[in-house]
Amino acid sequence: MTATLPQFRRRASVAIADERLQQALDRGTGNFRRARDVAFAELPDADGLRDHFKAIRTATLADLGTYLQRWEANASAAGTRVHWARDGAEACAAVVEIAARRGATSAVKGKSMATEEIELNQALEAAGVTATETDLGDWLVQMAGETPSHIIAPAIHKTREQAAELIGRLAGRVMPEDDIPALTAAARELLRQRFLDAGIGITGGNLMVAETGSLVLVTNEGNGRMATSVPPVHVAVIGIEKVAPDWDAAAVWLSLLARSASGQPLSVYTSIVTGPRLPDDADGPEEVHVILLDNGRSNLLGGEYEEALQCIRCGACLNACPVYGEAGGHAYDSPYCGPIGAVVTPLLFGLERYEALPQASSLCGACREICPVRIDLPRMLVALRRDQEERAITPWHLRWLEGLAARILASPRRLRLATGLLRWLQRPLRGRRGLRLPGVLNPAGDRALPALAPRSFRQMWAAGELEEAGS
Amino acid sequence: MNPRAGERGPREAILERLAAAARPTTLPPPRIWPQAFADLATRFEQALTAAKGEVRRVADLAGAWETVDGILDEVGAKAVVANGEPPIAGMDLPARWPERRCHIAGACGGDLRAACAAADVGLSGAAAALAETGTIVVASGPTRSRLVTLLPPVHVALVPLSGLTADLFTWTAARNASLTADAAMPANVVLVSGPSKSADIEFTLTLGVHGPGRLIAILYDAD
Amino acid sequence: MPERERVALCVTCLVDQVVPEVGVATVRLLHRAGFEVDFPADQTCCGQPFFNSGRHSEAAELARRTVAIFAPYDAVVLPSGSCTSMIAVEYPHLLEPWPEWHAQATALAAKTYELTSFLVERAGWPPAAAGRLEAGRVTYHDSCHMCRLLGSREPPRELLRRCGLEVAEMAQADRCCGFGGLFSLRLPEVSNAMTGEKLRQAEAAGGQMVVTADPGCLLQMRGMAAPDQRVEHVATVLDARAADLKSGAEASG
Repeated sequence: MTATLPQFRRRASVAIADERLQQALDRGTGNFRRARDVAFAELPDADGLRDHFKAIRTATLADLGTYLQRWEANASAAGTRVHWARDGAEACAAVVEIAARRGATSAVKGKSMATEEIELNQALEAAGVTATETDLGDWLVQMAGETPSHIIAPAIHKTREQAAELIGRLAGRVMPEDDIPALTAAARELLRQRFLDAGIGITGGNLMVAETGSLVLVTNEGNGRMATSVPPVHVAVIGIEKVAPDWDAAAVWLSLLARSASGQPLSVYTSIVTGPRLPDDADGPEEVHVILLDNGRSNLLGGEYEEALQCIRCGACLNACPVYGEAGGHAYDSPYCGPIGAVVTPLLFGLERYEALPQASSLCGACREICPVRIDLPRMLVALRRDQEERAITPWHLRWLEGLAARILASPRRLRLATGLLRWLQRPLRGRRGLRLPGVLNPAGDRALPALAPRSFRQMWAAGELEEAGS
Repeated sequence: MNPRAGERGPREAILERLAAAARPTTLPPPRIWPQAFADLATRFEQALTAAKGEVRRVADLAGAWETVDGILDEVGAKAVVANGEPPIAGMDLPARWPERRCHIAGACGGDLRAACAAADVGLSGAAAALAETGTIVVASGPTRSRLVTLLPPVHVALVPLSGLTADLFTWTAARNASLTADAAMPANVVLVSGPSKSADIEFTLTLGVHGPGRLIAILYDAD
Repeated sequence: MPERERVALCVTCLVDQVVPEVGVATVRLLHRAGFEVDFPADQTCCGQPFFNSGRHSEAAELARRTVAIFAPYDAVVLPSGSCTSMIAVEYPHLLEPWPEWHAQATALAAKTYELTSFLVERAGWPPAAAGRLEAGRVTYHDSCHMCRLLGSREPPRELLRRCGLEVAEMAQADRCCGFGGLFSLRLPEVSNAMTGEKLRQAEAAGGQMVVTADPGCLLQMRGMAAPDQRVEHVATVLDARAADLKSGAEASG
């Protein structure tokens, strides 16, 4: 998984040319944005809530070890088995070991970006455990052999015809393309049996609450509840940064999460898991495991990128981002796409591997504006670009050209000489709408680059032409 | 995973990194934004209905049971599963519905899971309800099955007016009587704010993906 | 007659070299509003493209140059929301490592204005809405730095209305036009797709032209616009209307 600049440009171009995808992106991100705005307008003090949440997240990350240990102590007291994983390999190994000890050969999975990040499904398959995605969108994407393209709407790029074809293949009969309730009923039936047969339910987690050692899952379909209640074992993988100190903080978190993601005041199901079933409980899993995943997150603490860990994975920044809106999620080739993806992907998985991502932004600031935690993503994108310059990751000829431009602009005399030269060079290229450059030579693609004006403003001023202008 | 002798385990390694980055900070003083509504029941009804749930309001528990009868008739329910919690514990279900199969969590032997998977309706009480978001709180326990409110296609919840609280903030602050700060958290608590839904296929809203496709809350006055 | 207040014009490198008519219109507007305009000829570039590219030492060098050049003035006016935000919002952070420069940058930030904000808030110009002018209809594009970093959306609309123009709102007026400085050259396909969307939304709003307060946005949109789709800088539009205003007043006065 990589995203060099040519790769990102190529994938983005494919997405831009895909009429159907563009419509889906427009519609999806537009719906989410509008619903989010309505939901926020209903809050008595949305700004105060966001400011307070920012303060909570900042303070929590400043002392993350304390809160994680408090969570661990309370979770363990409730019977949860807590595992710590430095990287994806350790996390996958822990899950595989649990499955092996239990003799489980099938797993059902609720939506989890963290398990995408560590490629858990592949590790399970290699160990002889089938892992079925159960979130409707994730399941469609899994059946198509693809990866999700939006943090909360993974199948935003799939059409109903494609869904009907995929479900039909599995159901062994032709499914009607236009009858979405029928498709849903078929999906429910097919997946229901998987839930009932599964030896292990695997989920992610939206947040942990240190005060009671609880894990909270925010879902809409019911597969999160199923995965945490039907199989005898529940395993959750969650990033170490997802801790709320107490239930007051968790209430703030939950008030903002579903509103920001899809405009719902609360999602359909907010599941609060605190340990396995108590001995006298009517039902519930015998074992609950939570795997705390580091995988590069602790590297960001204490530095200028710590703020990126405040993210609650609501996806609002994707819905606001015009770059995501054109390029789609697959251009990023990462479980985390959009503005937050452009920041955390290089930080967690490598700046060289993902050199395009900090560049894939016009720094418009729409992400910062919509983020419930007010994360300053543009600041971190610029810092990543600075890192790229310092580590010479950008192409040498572009760096050289920029250095030249900076030296020219540092002196009015050099500016005069350089622009004089450019004016002379551009003469054969001047057209009515800018420079006439043959397609391959035009770095702006389909767009016409402007020509320098025949005379600059400073030349007019120096010639005294503006003394009485407009008086 | 057992670390080799002399090697720090993942937990110690991670905690060491976190300690190195820690700085002295205090959490901001707790703030909540509780809302007030003129009538909690009205607000609850509006919110749950907007989320495609259904609300029936009745004068008393007797009226609530009659409403349940009506719903079972409406859906042609042959099999019902129910939590043996109040107020259901006070009603002899097999006697009330001799023509339907009844399995009561905490009161019957037998395969609860199979009964839930085969049931047409799941019947529960409610630990609490949140007016702002039309939420029913269900919690696990000896007579409170998770699967009763999850597997059947219809979930009917008997919600006493006395259990209605304004919103999430009010609930967490007050720590509702059935979830006091002293008592241990139940293993599973779910805030249910509507029937199961998805819009993953071309943004078309569809109900009953994995959880119940119908959620019916019967609000009754317990006094 | 009281001496006119003096302002310095920071014309911006794009206006200086590519669309100088915007600079001319800016000077004329400031004169109409009753100000003397100085143009310190040493100015070159505020350094924003280098800052956005992560070349912070070069950006800081240009920032220090700019701060030194404009320090003597009481007010600095720019026909560009993004360059204004660079000076007014970013310079103090960028120059933090140098306490002296940081202090000067903070002082400069407090007296640096984007043109339309200056005209509405500091100059109170134009004094009254025009009634005698031929009606016109335009649509306005909110450039990113101006609306999000400077929080300024109303002043340009207000000025256009006072000059007798109806401002039709396009959908997502504050969606980025695709310029983003060097982004438009590094990822031209995505950039152009964003510009295409912006121009379509502007077209759908109706109006005789798309108006913007940012030279970067101006050139980006012109580069993709259809031959019959006009894109203009707010300074040139206001200056043309002000000329009509004046001659209209003279004719009827």
